Amino acid sequence: MIFNWFKIFIYHLRQSKLFSFLNVLGLSIGIATVIFAILYWNNEHSYDQWNPNKENAYMVLNKIGATGDTWGSNSIPFGETCKASIPEIEKICFFNTWYDDEIIKYQSQKLMAKKITVSDESFFDFFPFEIVQGAKTNILKEKNSVAISEEQAKLIFKDEDPIGKAIIYNTVAYTVKSVYRIIKPSSIEPNYVFSGVKREGDENSWGNFNYGLLVKIKKGADPVAVLKKMQNVNFVNRTLKDAKESGQTVEQYVKENGEITVILDQLQMSRLHGTKSSAGQNFPEGVGNLKLLYIMGGLSILILVLSLVNYINLATASAIKRAKEVGVRKIVGASKNQIIKQFIFETAIIVTLAILFSLAIVELSLPYYNTFLKKNLTMNGSEFYLQLILIFGLVIILAGIFPAIYISNFETLKVLKGNFSRSKSGIWIRNSMLIFQFGIAAFFIIGALIVNSQVDYMMNKDLGFTGDQVISIPYNKPDRQKRVQQYGVDKSEIKKIPGVVDVTTFAGSFGGSTNSSSGFTHNGIFVQPRNAEIDFGFLEMMKIKIVEGRDLSPEFASDTVSSMLINETLAKTLNLKKPINTIVTSGWSIGDGNNLKFKIVGVVKDFHITGLQNKVPPMVFINIKTLKWNNFNNILVKVSPNNLTETLEKLKIYWGKNVNPDYPFDYEFVNKGFAKTYQEQIKQKNLFFILNLVVIIIAVFGLFALASFSMERRLKEIAIRKTLGAETDILLKELSKQYIIFCFMGFAIGILPAYILLQKWLEDFAFRINISVVPFTVALISLVILTLIIVLTKAYQVTKIDVLKYLKYE
Amino acid sequence: MITIQNLTKVFRTEEIETAALSGINLEIKKGDFLTIMGPSGCGKSTLLNIIGLLDSANDGSYKLLDQEMIGLKEKGRAQVRKENIGFIFQNFNLIDELSVYDNIELPLLYNNVKASERKQKIEAIAEKLNISHRLKHFPQQLSGGQQQRVAVARALVNDPKIILADEPTGNLDSKNGNEVMELLTDLHAKGATILMVTHSDYDASFSQRTIHMKDGVIFSEKLNQRNVDVFMDAK
Repeated sequence: MIFNWFKIFIYHLRQSKLFSFLNVLGLSIGIATVIFAILYWNNEHSYDQWNPNKENAYMVLNKIGATGDTWGSNSIPFGETCKASIPEIEKICFFNTWYDDEIIKYQSQKLMAKKITVSDESFFDFFPFEIVQGAKTNILKEKNSVAISEEQAKLIFKDEDPIGKAIIYNTVAYTVKSVYRIIKPSSIEPNYVFSGVKREGDENSWGNFNYGLLVKIKKGADPVAVLKKMQNVNFVNRTLKDAKESGQTVEQYVKENGEITVILDQLQMSRLHGTKSSAGQNFPEGVGNLKLLYIMGGLSILILVLSLVNYINLATASAIKRAKEVGVRKIVGASKNQIIKQFIFETAIIVTLAILFSLAIVELSLPYYNTFLKKNLTMNGSEFYLQLILIFGLVIILAGIFPAIYISNFETLKVLKGNFSRSKSGIWIRNSMLIFQFGIAAFFIIGALIVNSQVDYMMNKDLGFTGDQVISIPYNKPDRQKRVQQYGVDKSEIKKIPGVVDVTTFAGSFGGSTNSSSGFTHNGIFVQPRNAEIDFGFLEMMKIKIVEGRDLSPEFASDTVSSMLINETLAKTLNLKKPINTIVTSGWSIGDGNNLKFKIVGVVKDFHITGLQNKVPPMVFINIKTLKWNNFNNILVKVSPNNLTETLEKLKIYWGKNVNPDYPFDYEFVNKGFAKTYQEQIKQKNLFFILNLVVIIIAVFGLFALASFSMERRLKEIAIRKTLGAETDILLKELSKQYIIFCFMGFAIGILPAYILLQKWLEDFAFRINISVVPFTVALISLVILTLIIVLTKAYQVTKIDVLKYLKYE
Repeated sequence: MITIQNLTKVFRTEEIETAALSGINLEIKKGDFLTIMGPSGCGKSTLLNIIGLLDSANDGSYKLLDQEMIGLKEKGRAQVRKENIGFIFQNFNLIDELSVYDNIELPLLYNNVKASERKQKIEAIAEKLNISHRLKHFPQQLSGGQQQRVAVARALVNDPKIILADEPTGNLDSKNGNEVMELLTDLHAKGATILMVTHSDYDASFSQRTIHMKDGVIFSEKLNQRNVDVFMDAK
């Protein structure tokens, strides 16, 4: 029997090669997008799933009451007190929530190492990577110990035994205790784990939130109860004390200053469903992009549905060709079930082909997808193959059942009498599916247009600074304490290099943020502005305007002592009507505990220091010499556009000789650096564009095929109309009319979801476009034009038929 | 073999009721060769379709092999049909996409006949109908007479109890038509039960008995003369 079915299937496949091919292609594109989404989904959901502590380990975050920011960092005494006073807590671990990239030295070797983390002796209790060499326990207990990943060990030590060898990191020698094998994917995938995360001076400072903190609670303990106890530790040691110090009652103090709320994120949930910290300080591998994951998932399902609808439509439309066969089969004894089985069998073959095809598509485009997601996904794992089988079954059922039942219900008598081909059965289903397709297409076109205009808006927005011809070069002087001093010398030397127009620096980066933030209270208003320590001339070089007062200048001695600038946002937040000459008590102190007082000498026009997702933060500006924090990491050099290569070459030589020979010379144009903030959106735009193309291709093909089938069924009618004297243009109108109506109906369906979802997407941007009618109009017009082109082409072809042929036979 | 009593079939549309069959009584015995004649729209095809279980009646009784068929569900009818009835159509109704061999094989497939047995049966019937050399061809490559012989082979391959022929010569020229009629006569001579609908008096003369219908009722029945054979011989 199957052989018989197969023969017929092959026959029809050969009869309509193009349609069959396009049909398979449509399905395989649909399946391929779902496979892409699944790969991404699996990867994101497999983070830390290998970890035996995934349920018992929690990351601790703090929501700062005064500003509403969430910090992924904690103070040492808080962690230690929790450990000591809460019996349910089995272990705690301090670690750096970021990776360091530094030069690692071994004997005469130098290696630019990435993904360095610093932690304490509990690290491997929380992330039990497989130890392949060396000590299995107490790895980081001794001072200056380090554990290295297998790959790095091979890189540095080749065939030598790494255990007991000394490597140098930040001028300190560390002894290699163990070599471990990273298990991926993990929230931390470090190449090096150094001991000694706790810095001097932080041991007893409740206010120094410098450390990532993990707690492991005992099996069976209630995390809610633990959280409550931790909250209490904070209350007793911070809120109560601070309130006492300020001479207020607790209620009053909390009302004015807010209170820290402790948050616990379970390790296994942390990546995707965890609390996002304000500065992106979660685990070093970052957090999962849940939104993109949902976008990918949703769109891929939509495309699969589209291709399924296409398949069903074509299958039912072309079923007319199979009507006689079905009739005959029924006459010679086929039951309905057998007919259904036969057609599901055919769908199964097509789906098999489509899946093979889609695997090929995925395999070929996986590298691009990986670049897009910055991941290294592969088609692997039993889970993936199980899902593939599930898709296979699901697609067969969804695509196959309906046409099969439809065909099996053909009435034998009508079919064999031969007047079946003009029957109207199933038409309304096909038409509503067509409308649905138009709806999806409209959704995608509108979506792409809106995403596109938001990205355009971001790229062309006035940022408040001009980064043209300004490059940022890392300034890694080995001795940080003398950085300001050394910078002064280097600045005047670099200025002498031909092609260099100006040199300046500030402690931060455009598109990132500034390197520090300190809160203070003025007139009873608490603010947490970003600190920008700038060199004289910084504002001028970056063409950042002063709206009131004056810039900091070397002419005033006080400008390196007690003068500050603030930006418009801060002036507004502090409610300062006349900000100039206002004295504020800053959040900074030098040793003696009294906070320094500063005089505001100017107000800086707001400019975008972070990406356009965020509002302009409140900012204060002081000279780099004022506090001598030495915490700027880059030098900004304005270069002349002429002889750029030469200038860069000279800068490189200067850097190698005078700044730090260990580091490779690296530079970035400031504009390009800022553009990174909307890289994600550009990617989403491209993603939308590609998906749009896919959707339109599938929809166009579906429309063409359906129009072909339904028009060919009307050949006799057309022939009669022609005989009665119908002109071509009247016929064209007659034939195309309904599709235009469907197009409008589909569009109407697509509008609302497009509006709602895109509105949601835009909510993420502090600076965004408003949704206007333009994208909707453009989408409608392009959809109508597309429909007209397809339908009219087919209709024109149909009106050119030989009248006689169709009146004679039929 | 077939007993029909007071069989009625009414076609209803929103406005009119048309009685296609009103109170038909008919009996067909094993080995009969019966022809139904009548003008277009007299209900003869409807009667044939009901007997062939392709259509259902509104009222009356239709017994096939002493089993009541009226009120049988689609599934049951398909079962009875595939085991007992062979169809021959005016327009052959062969599946163009399948070879002659595959076309003849279909009923056997749906009756779950074993592969080795299928081959044997198909070859035997092809031999009998003189189409052995055409088994690998496709229907479109054959002449009308040959196509109808394939259709007959398909109708017979499963040894049905009764053969229903709906204007079997309607699409054939007289020579091919004759061939098909001789084939049916031959089958009848070997004991087959045949019910045929036709417009042609000439074709009808091959059968034992002819029923004339008009407006849904049988109004005459006559036994055909054997001398037809003599006439044929003389020709």
